[in-house]
Amino acid sequence: MADPITLTIDGKQVNVPAGTLVIEAAKQVGIEIPAFCYYEGFSLQAACRMCLVEVEKMPKLQPSCTLPAAEGMVIHTESPKVVDARKGMLEFLLTNHPLDCPVCDKGGECELQDMTFRYGAGESRFVEIKHHVDEKQWSPAVYYDAARCILCYRCIRVCDEGLGVGALGLTYRGVGAEITPSHGDHLECDECGWCIDVCPVGALTSGTYRYKSRPWEMNYAGTICTHCGDGCKTTLSVRNGEVIRANNRDRSGINDEFLCVKGRFGFDFVHSPERLQSPLMRRNGKLEPVSWSEAIGLVSDKFLEVAARGGSFGVIGSTRATNEESYFLQKFARQGLETNNIDHHRSGDVATLLDALSGKTKALATVNDLYTAKAALVVGADLAQQHPLLAYQLRANWRHHQSSTYVVSEGPVREDQYAAKSVRAAAGAELAALEGLREDLKKHGDLVILFGASVKGDAVRSLVAFGDSLGIPVTYVCLVDYSNSRGAMDMGVLPDLAPGYKAVDKPGMNIDEMLTSPTLDVLWVVGANPLEHTQLKNEKAFVVVQELFLTETAQRADVVFPAASAYEKSGTVTNVCGEVQRLKAGPKVMGAKPDLEIMGLLAKQMGLNLGIWTPDKVFEEIRRSVRGYNVALPVIATGGAAPTMPVNGRIPVSPRPDLIRPSGDTLFTSGTLGRYSRMLNKVMEAPGQLYKP
Amino acid sequence: MGIENLWESMPKINEILSGAAAIAKGMTVTIKEMMNPVITDDYPDAPPVFQERYRGLHVLQRDENGLEKCVACFLCSAACPVQCIYIEAADNTDQLRISGGERYASVYNIDYSRCIFCGYCVEACPTDAITHGHGFELASFNTSTLIYRKEKLLAPLPEGTTGALKLDHPVAVGDAGH
Ligand code: SF4
Ligand code: SF4
Ligand code: SF4
Ligand code: SF4
Ligand code: SF4
Repeated sequence: MADPITLTIDGKQVNVPAGTLVIEAAKQVGIEIPAFCYYEGFSLQAACRMCLVEVEKMPKLQPSCTLPAAEGMVIHTESPKVVDARKGMLEFLLTNHPLDCPVCDKGGECELQDMTFRYGAGESRFVEIKHHVDEKQWSPAVYYDAARCILCYRCIRVCDEGLGVGALGLTYRGVGAEITPSHGDHLECDECGWCIDVCPVGALTSGTYRYKSRPWEMNYAGTICTHCGDGCKTTLSVRNGEVIRANNRDRSGINDEFLCVKGRFGFDFVHSPERLQSPLMRRNGKLEPVSWSEAIGLVSDKFLEVAARGGSFGVIGSTRATNEESYFLQKFARQGLETNNIDHHRSGDVATLLDALSGKTKALATVNDLYTAKAALVVGADLAQQHPLLAYQLRANWRHHQSSTYVVSEGPVREDQYAAKSVRAAAGAELAALEGLREDLKKHGDLVILFGASVKGDAVRSLVAFGDSLGIPVTYVCLVDYSNSRGAMDMGVLPDLAPGYKAVDKPGMNIDEMLTSPTLDVLWVVGANPLEHTQLKNEKAFVVVQELFLTETAQRADVVFPAASAYEKSGTVTNVCGEVQRLKAGPKVMGAKPDLEIMGLLAKQMGLNLGIWTPDKVFEEIRRSVRGYNVALPVIATGGAAPTMPVNGRIPVSPRPDLIRPSGDTLFTSGTLGRYSRMLNKVMEAPGQLYKP
Repeated sequence: MGIENLWESMPKINEILSGAAAIAKGMTVTIKEMMNPVITDDYPDAPPVFQERYRGLHVLQRDENGLEKCVACFLCSAACPVQCIYIEAADNTDQLRISGGERYASVYNIDYSRCIFCGYCVEACPTDAITHGHGFELASFNTSTLIYRKEKLLAPLPEGTTGALKLDHPVAVGDAGH
């Protein structure tokens, strides 16, 4: 980095590295220079002229968003000349602007409104009739009101540069100029809604939030997206217990402002009319609503009766439940029901990876590492479809740091657009194709290897051996599909491994064995849908299900408990990179209870002593007892992501690669939750469309 | 009666005389006012008379076509110092138009157990939709009846109008209000 330079902004001295833009240098001393087109992290535009500043010894005002700071510069950001220029610019911006703030969704959080207030350009000298264009609906998620657009190009740039979608462009000229979507009159894109968020005015509005509220009318809950394993922070805007918007404008969390369509629009499953709101019990072959005490009592009696006669239990845990719930569930199974028949839907071979890495330190990559690494290798995964945040991080790394990305995948993926090399290889045959990349990979200072579900069992060991042989620092990410797949494994929701990947004495039945066992007496399913495509072998088994919806599994149940979604509860989840983050309850749904509470009530009714079942207390126990989870509490409490420590020791894995089944979710699907999200079903695009070169 | 006694009774006479003078003075005012026209109201036997700018129960106004003026901008509820205005917004569709702008208030409640009739909401309203009327009889034995809904607050329809427009042929949203 070049020598730091010193400049003076509004009388304050500031030291910045050479090449820093004046607008950024000002931020460092707490001076905000207004700008519409400038957006941190994207290409420079200098289109709006709001950021003009006065630089001593320069004859004209300079746009601070494209002006690199120079040694000894003396800058005035609010001199009368500057204020006058800004007022003039605003008057131009408002020539055709409707200023219909009362009906505009952006009112109250609009940058143009704020600036007009600040510089008092409310009255115009233009008397001509304003050019008006009707509002258009581009897609179920995105509306565009050209009259309000100030042509800052932010939307175009985030879509093109940030996501690599490039669905927006500019058409016409002069006053007629407007933003136009990919298909002329409608939009086919990732439907992520990021363009709506960055729009400084109310030109782009969101299909779900439109005309619903005002920013000051809502409560905000910063929680973690429940749709995939990447763990994006999403801030829910809640009014009257109902989520009406999700975004992350404050850039808290590991994802900066990024959210994919599921994070930004997929929250509506929470308020689906099909949510279960009362316990159900099977009577005369039909599921009927009953009271909580009745349902808990029946299940407790049944569990006690089966336990007393030494019958067999099968417990299937969730890939969406919190760490606390997964931990408590396995404790319930192992201590309360005295069985190791516990499993979940596995979607990646984390256990083998951790075993193969034993003895190594710093071998697991964090989400942020994907943005700073010199090179990345993606093996057997379609990141843009299955791990949107990771795909975004790699692209941002390439844009900002010219990192190199290598892809080994079955079909074309979006990373091909900028990959240093892309290799096609059939699923399961990726490792053979790696040899061809060896020389390229060696050149880089460090490397992150991300691998999907097709690399499992011994293939994971071979991949780590390949990484070792490169002679450069290599870190790994084992891609798992659901929001807490990683946590379910770490918490020991496995028949052969207890929390922290400790071996159990007598491994129990795995998920397939439970479903096909002819003698299983009780099947207890917490937040999963194992019977989506199969039947339970033992027709007489007593089935208890905790679920949000009446899924195929719930339909087979004898007792169904209405469970709360991740957005309605507190606790922690662990993302695909092993970072622990905290959930914060936002909305409320009448009748549903968090899984932890349901299990707690059940334990109490059965007279089991499994400890206090509040999320905080269980997390304390996890921190004390689970290997790798002694994470920094302040980081989590303040909404940060705390990486779990590496397990660092051999894991007695009995590899069952056949049990690892990827979810096959795309950008627009998300298992059970996605099925009940109206928005996700409305915006569904043909996945192939997204890969047009 | 000695001279001393008379001397002693002097203040009493003075007192009586000055008392009588005060009564006479008071009575002149009374008698004078009895001659003047009455300025107090005969409420409840006759309806009270209000000054134009009296701040009574709110009225949500309609425009000349009978459409609601309120566009659910939430500014009144933001301005309200006691948080007594609750609004839910919705958009006018091609088929059903309730207000002149793009959006309208699907729910508009004022909680009169909290309203202090300060008039801030009226001042904040950009469309002159919310106004103070002259209604004032809102006493109730049950505070829950003090939450007035939009239906109760709306002004009557102007003659010859039907209020909400149900359209068979779509009109682009945004035509009105610009
Ligand atoms: S974009 Fe901003 S200034 Fe323009 S109408 Fe909307 S709130 Fe008002
Ligand atoms: S929704 Fe996302 S993908 Fe679609 S145009 Fe906007 S930024 Fe681009
Ligand atoms: S739609 Fe919004 S973000 Fe896009 S150019 Fe117009 S004002 Fe800028
Ligand atoms: S990338 Fe994953 S975690 Fe992030 S918003 Fe999308 S679905 Fe949610
Ligand atoms: S009454 Fe006026 S201020 Fe209140 S929401 Fe309606 S338009 Fe806005």
